[in-house]
Amino acid sequence: MNAVLGYRDAVAAVVRRDLRIFLTYRFRWLSRIVGTLLSLTTFYYVSKLARADAVGSHSSYFAFLLVGIVALPVLTGAMTVAQFVRQELVAGNFERILVSPTGPVIGILAMLLFPVAFALLLAAVTLALGVVLFGVHLHLGGIPVTLAVMALGCIAFAAIGLLFVATLIAFKSSAAITWVIAGLGLVGGVYFPLSLFPGWIRWAGSVQPLTPTIDLLRHELVGASLAHAAWADWVKLTAFAAVLLPVATYILSQSIKLSRSQGTILEY
Amino acid sequence: MATGAETAQMLHTSDRQVADRSAGAPSGESAPPAVMQLDNVTRYFGRRAKHRHVVLRNVSLAVPPGEVTHIGGSNGAGKTTLLRLMAGILRPNEGTVSIGGLSSERSWRDFHRQIGFLSAGDRGLYARLTVRAHLEYWCALAFVAPEQRPASVEEGLSSFGLDGLADRRAERLSQGQRQRLRLALALAHRPRILLLDEPRNSLDAEGLERLGSGVRAAIGRGASVVWCSPPGEDQPVAFDRRLLLEDGQVRPL
Repeated sequence: MNAVLGYRDAVAAVVRRDLRIFLTYRFRWLSRIVGTLLSLTTFYYVSKLARADAVGSHSSYFAFLLVGIVALPVLTGAMTVAQFVRQELVAGNFERILVSPTGPVIGILAMLLFPVAFALLLAAVTLALGVVLFGVHLHLGGIPVTLAVMALGCIAFAAIGLLFVATLIAFKSSAAITWVIAGLGLVGGVYFPLSLFPGWIRWAGSVQPLTPTIDLLRHELVGASLAHAAWADWVKLTAFAAVLLPVATYILSQSIKLSRSQGTILEY
Repeated sequence: MATGAETAQMLHTSDRQVADRSAGAPSGESAPPAVMQLDNVTRYFGRRAKHRHVVLRNVSLAVPPGEVTHIGGSNGAGKTTLLRLMAGILRPNEGTVSIGGLSSERSWRDFHRQIGFLSAGDRGLYARLTVRAHLEYWCALAFVAPEQRPASVEEGLSSFGLDGLADRRAERLSQGQRQRLRLALALAHRPRILLLDEPRNSLDAEGLERLGSGVRAAIGRGASVVWCSPPGEDQPVAFDRRLLLEDGQVRPL
């Protein structure tokens, strides 16, 4: 069998597996939507209380928040692959990928796809709720560019997710994920404009891929103004995606090799 | 008493003779190549020399095609470690593991296409996936050609008496049924090397018979089988040779 077709089918099989498992939980998708709706409602009323000069009016602040809370789960969804790998290790399923011709690196890359696809679907539903229930005005013409920004952001964050998996496999710990995601929410400007923060937080916001992703999304979807030219954010985001993914994939393959050498590959 | 290197040499010689016999080749003529070869494999755990636990020392072993090799050994002797090395899950600290000259390091895909692996215990199943979904998933992961997958899935179901359970989730199977599924997965892609770690686990008489049939069918296709289990168990297949793993060494029994 042609190797490329073999890998394609194996990747599709991993996605199908994750979808099948997800669908056995009949109300999981509903609970995610209800959770999103409750969160939007909370932020809608919080936005009415907030001092919103930095972004314009209260409604502008809610639109600002909406894009942030739509983008964050998509991007962090790509990072949670480490938790899936941990579950595979605990359940003893990772062994099956390890003894397959597909191999652990492609297997782990494939495990990124379903969570990201589901998060994108949920993002679309969340935006629709924001428009229908809370009156946010979206620039529909910006959607094609939005998809391109999301794709680049997902690649960059998938790379960070792979670095977490590499850490998990080599050192058996994924504890950092939670605080990294929380920290990114802060320094990425998900909930507040970075202009409100002290200089060092603004610096932290400029050296990771979440900030340019969210800035470009806000610019395209709700017409938010950018702190600098859009091309600068595009260059930064593209560079993060282009550099981080191959580097992270290489580090992951080395961590697998190390763990096989140490004899700890199946341990957690 | 033979040293490790001498024992390894004895095993090589013995393997060549067995391979000659199985191929019907007269003694002295070139034997068919061994399918899997372990050369001077050493495996230890623990990075510091002080805490190092050596499990395998300079193990050399050839696994000839069309044979069932039994490797016995008491609990903790290193049988699972040996099988994990053969399956390419672990890397040897020293020595090499290869199949027809292919190593898992240089040719991951081609090496692993030839391996069928059953681990000890009852893990490695997705609780919420059905029996059929497991087989479909594995056949794709194992690079079974798309046009052959439906037949491979059906064969896996029928060979291990899982037809009536095809749409049942793994979490709703008994231990013996789970073991049948794990065996079906190990054999579904028709591997050239079948590595079985305590395969009798939880099987009833019918399950044992199906295991024996599966192994004999694999041998009939020219595969080789390595069967690890503690000594003293009744086994549903005849072994072509018996080896013992003891003190980090493999020797003929």
